[in-house]
Amino acid sequence: MRIAAVGDVHLAEDARGHLRPALEHLHEHADVLLLAGDLTRHGTVDEARVVADEFGDLPVPVVGVLGNHDYHSDAEDEITELLRDRGIVVLEGESVVLDVDGARLGVAGTKGFGGGFAGKCASAFGEPEMKKFAGHTVELADRFRGAVAELDGADVRLALLHYSPISDTLRGEPAEIYPFLGSYLLGEPIDEFHLDLAVHGHAHAGCERGTTPGGVRVRNVAQPVIRTAYAVYRFEN
Amino acid sequence: MSHEHPDHPQYVVAHLHRALAEDPRTAEQGVRVTIRGTDVYLTGEVASAARRDALTTVVQEQLPGVTVHNDVHVVDSRDPGTSVEELR
Repeated sequence: MRIAAVGDVHLAEDARGHLRPALEHLHEHADVLLLAGDLTRHGTVDEARVVADEFGDLPVPVVGVLGNHDYHSDAEDEITELLRDRGIVVLEGESVVLDVDGARLGVAGTKGFGGGFAGKCASAFGEPEMKKFAGHTVELADRFRGAVAELDGADVRLALLHYSPISDTLRGEPAEIYPFLGSYLLGEPIDEFHLDLAVHGHAHAGCERGTTPGGVRVRNVAQPVIRTAYAVYRFEN
Repeated sequence: MSHEHPDHPQYVVAHLHRALAEDPRTAEQGVRVTIRGTDVYLTGEVASAARRDALTTVVQEQLPGVTVHNDVHVVDSRDPGTSVEELR
């Protein structure tokens, strides 16, 4: 099973068609495409139409999550609906199981959020703004755990995130901003259920490869990191 | 500009970072800013040549008179060819 993945494509009218030439040959390289959020630049519906035109009607299934940029104009629901209308599976605390290359591929997805990593993270304490910041991650991670639990029985089980579940793949970013780039709360369910792979974006200056504390491979597929239209990971069926 | 701190370029860098993230013409959070004297160096990756050029425009508006060295790269969108990572 070949899995293509890319995040942080930040599409808008000025970038229309940039990815499509590479995507026309996608089925020669991959059986499914995962989109790791920040699909748009300002989170507008017009930009989402560019995303739908770029990733719609591809010869392989496309599964995505939204990123923080996709929330910037408070149009995340319309963006989700528009992409779903064009056949793109959009996950937020949800899962999907697809028949891919003769096997069952399970994907659990969420945008996720920040907060930081074990021992250096935000807590829901003090001002309401701080409680809201830390609480948002807790809420999303809880729903993500429920989605991960639904993957039981799939042959290959993946996590699809925008924010990072580990700090390994943030290397290259200033350590001071790690709490804005991900949270260990997203990593816990990945390890609890021993998933096969987690992909995320968001950290443009990070690095591609890392592992969770439990040994699950994590790949940062932000396009500025992978420097190609998408990266491909292959599992033996 | 109102944020001139000639003895404290760190504040100027911080201000430019925020401007590049919050100005809708750029909306870029991943561009690195370095100041050396009256020269500003920009590095990072963006999705189009127009977005790279907009970075220079915003910096010059914020700091009239500085020389902007825009070393930002437009991200590569070619297909990866035969490059595949095998996961076992």
